[in-house]
Amino acid sequence: MASVAIRNVGKRYGPVTVMRGIGVDIADGEFVVLVGPSGCGKSTLLRMIAGLEEITEGEVSIGETVVNDIAPKDRNIAMVFQNYALYPHMTVEENMAFALTLQRTERAEIEKRVRRAAEILGLAPLLKRYPKQLSGGQRQRVAMGRAIVRDPQVFLFDEPLSNLDAKLRVQMRMEIKELHQRLKTTTVYVTHDQIEAMTMADRIVVMRDGAVEQIGAPLDLYNHPDNLFVAGFIGSPGMNFMAGRIENGRFLTKGGETLPLPDGYGGTRTDVIYGIRPEHLTLDVGGAPALVSVVEPTGPEVQVFARLGVEQIVAVLRDAPSVSPGDKVGFSPQIDRVHIFDAASGRRLVAADLDRAA
Amino acid sequence: MRSTLMKQVPLFLILLCFCIVNLTPVAWGFLTSIRQPVDAFAVPPKLIFTPTLEFHWQIWVDKGFWRFLINTAIVSVCAVTISVSIGSMAAYALSRLRSRLASGLLFSLLAMRMFPHILLAIPFFVIAQAAHLIDTYIAMILAVVALNQPFTIWLMRSFFAEVPGELYDSAVMDGCNAWQTFRRVALPIVKPGLWVTTLFSLLLAYNEFLLALVLTRTGTKTMPVAIAEYGAEDISYWSLSAAAAFGIMLPILVFMLFMQRHLVRGMAAGAVKG
Ligand SMILES: Nc1ncnc2c1ncn2[C@@H]1O[C@H](COP(=O)(O)OP(=O)(O)OP(=O)(O)O)[C@@H](O)[C@H]1O
Ligand SMILES: [Mg+2]
Repeated sequence: MASVAIRNVGKRYGPVTVMRGIGVDIADGEFVVLVGPSGCGKSTLLRMIAGLEEITEGEVSIGETVVNDIAPKDRNIAMVFQNYALYPHMTVEENMAFALTLQRTERAEIEKRVRRAAEILGLAPLLKRYPKQLSGGQRQRVAMGRAIVRDPQVFLFDEPLSNLDAKLRVQMRMEIKELHQRLKTTTVYVTHDQIEAMTMADRIVVMRDGAVEQIGAPLDLYNHPDNLFVAGFIGSPGMNFMAGRIENGRFLTKGGETLPLPDGYGGTRTDVIYGIRPEHLTLDVGGAPALVSVVEPTGPEVQVFARLGVEQIVAVLRDAPSVSPGDKVGFSPQIDRVHIFDAASGRRLVAADLDRAA
Repeated sequence: MRSTLMKQVPLFLILLCFCIVNLTPVAWGFLTSIRQPVDAFAVPPKLIFTPTLEFHWQIWVDKGFWRFLINTAIVSVCAVTISVSIGSMAAYALSRLRSRLASGLLFSLLAMRMFPHILLAIPFFVIAQAAHLIDTYIAMILAVVALNQPFTIWLMRSFFAEVPGELYDSAVMDGCNAWQTFRRVALPIVKPGLWVTTLFSLLLAYNEFLLALVLTRTGTKTMPVAIAEYGAEDISYWSLSAAAAFGIMLPILVFMLFMQRHLVRGMAAGAVKG
């Protein structure tokens, strides 16, 4: 086991810079999730840690060693790929043993390790099968088994669950988490699914366009997003945003509705964005008036889509409220859950910023 | 049910026509080989005749046709072994190279394949003569390899191109060096394709006529050249020639029967991925 340090890492493909100034410190035994929209560079960063891509700028260390110029096989890491990348001409057993065979590990030792991994993952009855004789979930487990037998310092996962159906994905998510709690191996896990990120991570790294937007524990990102991008990316359905201005401690939308602000947001400021999560809105006759357009029950709660002035918003309500499309209702935000962002930079503004600007 | 039947009947008829067109010369050749030349060329065709194995006997026993078979076998097997091994390695490298150089090389190989063989046969002859290699296996093998190489490289490359890149990444992570990635991961995966390539290049080598005509004399003469010589002498030799042509087909037929399982898989592998 080991820590991983990514220092000021950048990536160029010829003249094109796809990544710059990435810095992440991953503690020994930590489970870190890289998350972000497609094309933001998650896989590229992971592959640079693995040694499959050259690091064109900056430094990656594993443990105490800078690994920039160390071959993948000597970095003592194991990687699980999105399409499993099982060798189709080898049985499950041979797939798992392959890396050890190449290292000329003793046969008895190989067998012992393969058996142990197979037991952990429930693969024992499948050892003699070929990958094409396995279901998606079983293939996924074999891919993990292949990583486990090597007993690496770091596990790397690149969207390992994206080819599974929804139900299996939830189950495998749990299994991976359990595996991590059991083995305590440092893990870097890539996904573009923010729910996977929230549920699995010790810490999340949110990326966009080849740069880090924010690093923090899941609830940290949820409660204190640094900027509009992170606020919108984390949470589902996404945070409601309304453009407008602050006047005398209240928020006025472009359409002229008034929304309450937390204490301390005094003064006046134009070009700000008001953010409130759907689950932090409640029905309230005295609240901001809105026109309900669609009502979607999901079981435990109801998603209500509505027009508030010129903005489309969504609220997630518990306790089966009796609203239907066409109703005129009022919404009130939980005031301590309101976020204010600067429209130009996207940065979240705290009360102190407003005083300074005023 | 009905619609599949509607599709299958015309398909079957088309394939049947195709088979008839293709097999008629073979049948005609076979019939020629088992009767006297007089009967073979009778107009209208004689349907009733006494079949004879006389010409087959003559070919194999009196004329020593087996010597040409051995020559052909030596040349084909050596040439295929060399061109398929070089071809696999080159194709693998070319399928993994992501540079302009790779496609440049591939297309120059294709260009080489576009030359008419006669254009190549003459320089090959000159080279072989200068090196005192006329009528040796070496000259013939090298010439056939040269002729086959573009084909084996292109065919193998198309099979390698279908191996998902993640497998190579996985091999690198598992600790394979370049050779091990090729030998232990890539090659076993394209094995069905390897069989297809082997068969096709074997057929090319086995049937090679022009180069054999130019480069061999009595010592290393191959079957296609020998057959042509029978036919050329006199029309009454045609039955002999036909019997020899059957002799040439038999080993290939046997090989095909043995390889059938691999071949179907290999040809299917190109179309659909498992
Ligand atoms: N070989 C390459 N040459 C040029 N640009 C590349 C190359 N490989 C990747 N890129 C670019 O690098 C960026 C990051 O790609 P990457 O695959 O890391 O994204 P990702 O975050 O993993 O996306 P996804 O969620 O779709 O897998 C993309 O903009 C991509 O176009
Ligand atoms: Mg990716």
